[in-house]
Amino acid sequence: MSEPTFEQAREELAEIVAKLEAGGLTLEESLALWNRGEEVAQTCTEWLDKARATLDAAREDNTTDDAGADDA
Amino acid sequence: MSPIAGVTSYPRAMALETGPDSPVPVRTVSHMLGEWIGKLGAIWVEGEVADFRPRAQARMQFVTLRDIEANASLSVVADSELVGRMDPPLEAGQRVIVWARPEFWAGRGSLQLRARTIRAVGIGELLARLAQLQATLAAEGLFAPERKKPLPFLPRRVGLICGRNSDAEHDVVVNARDRWPATDFEIREVAVQGTNAVREVTEALLDLDARDDIDVIVITRGGGSAEDLLPFSNEALVRAVAAAQTPIVSAIGHEQDSPILDHVADYRASTPTDAGKRIVPSFAEQNAIVTQLLQRGRSTVLRRLEQESQLVIDARRRNRRAVTQSLESWTSDVSHLRARARSLSPAATLDRGYAVVQGADGSVVRDPASITEGDVLAITVQHGAFHATVTSTNSTKGNPA
Repeated sequence: MSEPTFEQAREELAEIVAKLEAGGLTLEESLALWNRGEEVAQTCTEWLDKARATLDAAREDNTTDDAGADDA
Repeated sequence: MSPIAGVTSYPRAMALETGPDSPVPVRTVSHMLGEWIGKLGAIWVEGEVADFRPRAQARMQFVTLRDIEANASLSVVADSELVGRMDPPLEAGQRVIVWARPEFWAGRGSLQLRARTIRAVGIGELLARLAQLQATLAAEGLFAPERKKPLPFLPRRVGLICGRNSDAEHDVVVNARDRWPATDFEIREVAVQGTNAVREVTEALLDLDARDDIDVIVITRGGGSAEDLLPFSNEALVRAVAAAQTPIVSAIGHEQDSPILDHVADYRASTPTDAGKRIVPSFAEQNAIVTQLLQRGRSTVLRRLEQESQLVIDARRRNRRAVTQSLESWTSDVSHLRARARSLSPAATLDRGYAVVQGADGSVVRDPASITEGDVLAITVQHGAFHATVTSTNSTKGNPA
């Protein structure tokens, strides 16, 4: 199975929360859902951290671009 | 053909029957020509004295009278007494009006005019006649502003009619090249005063006007006496200028001189220097205009470039801000969901020190009877899970309640 996209992971996390909120679950089901929720939440966080790092790198490039444009 | 043979063509004028066998002697022909010419009456003739050398003590004086414009001349014979009475005295170059009778001089077989009156044409009279001619030409519309052709902005070649090695030529050429160094001239050096002036200037004009590569023609000469400038008021020359296809610039004499050529020309330059300046644009000025246009064009493009790149910079900045914001919003969304999942799960209970015990099949152990010695159980506590082996299953009834 390929890596889930951020959208998919985040969707799954929301579904897990909705199920937990609905209640009526056995302890086992609650434990399993929570564990799965921690996994997809981790996936989402990693994805967001990576995106933030990309953005920061682009900002550094931009600063040099802006300086170049001022010279012209 | 001999003159004698020619005579047979005019039997009535020469009432003679001649032939190879019956020729007439020279004296007969001479006599008859003399009689015929003698019958012509006296006439008034105007011309210029081309040659006159007074013969002292002689009874007769000989004068060569030449046409003002055309290449034609006649001999004039006058009594010494008649010539002697003239005031101002007769001299070469003078314009005269002669009342004379044509006569045939048998001794030399030549035709001459026997003058009875010779009158010098005064400058005042000449100028009065010019005024008359000027009025006539003006009435014909030859000076009308709408007839004037505009001078070219930059002529490919300039036709220049001037005197030989004259200051006027120098002034036109130097001043034109001072403004536009590459000015190209086609120069016709001609007589600009005297008997040949009208003919030579007119011929040069017709020649230059017929050429395709000449865009403007300058007719110039320096200052001079009123008589010197007369050719430039000559009717034939002035009409040739009016008929020319090429724009003509007149640059005759000084500011105050105003020959008729000035009125009929397309542009009247006050002096040869003025003509030189007028026929070409100033290189420096044109160069400045072109440079300025180039600079304006360049700065317009630069300004546009700056505007465009500013737009890109702004858009990029907005884009980054928007992405950053949505990233933050997603981050808080995810952490919120995570916290919520945790608060709804048994994790909260584990945080308080409880543990969940699960069998190998994942089911929660709720009864010691459900397990046996040696079973491996999974125990989950607040900070994680571990495994434990069952050592005893003493079914002591706890008191969970």
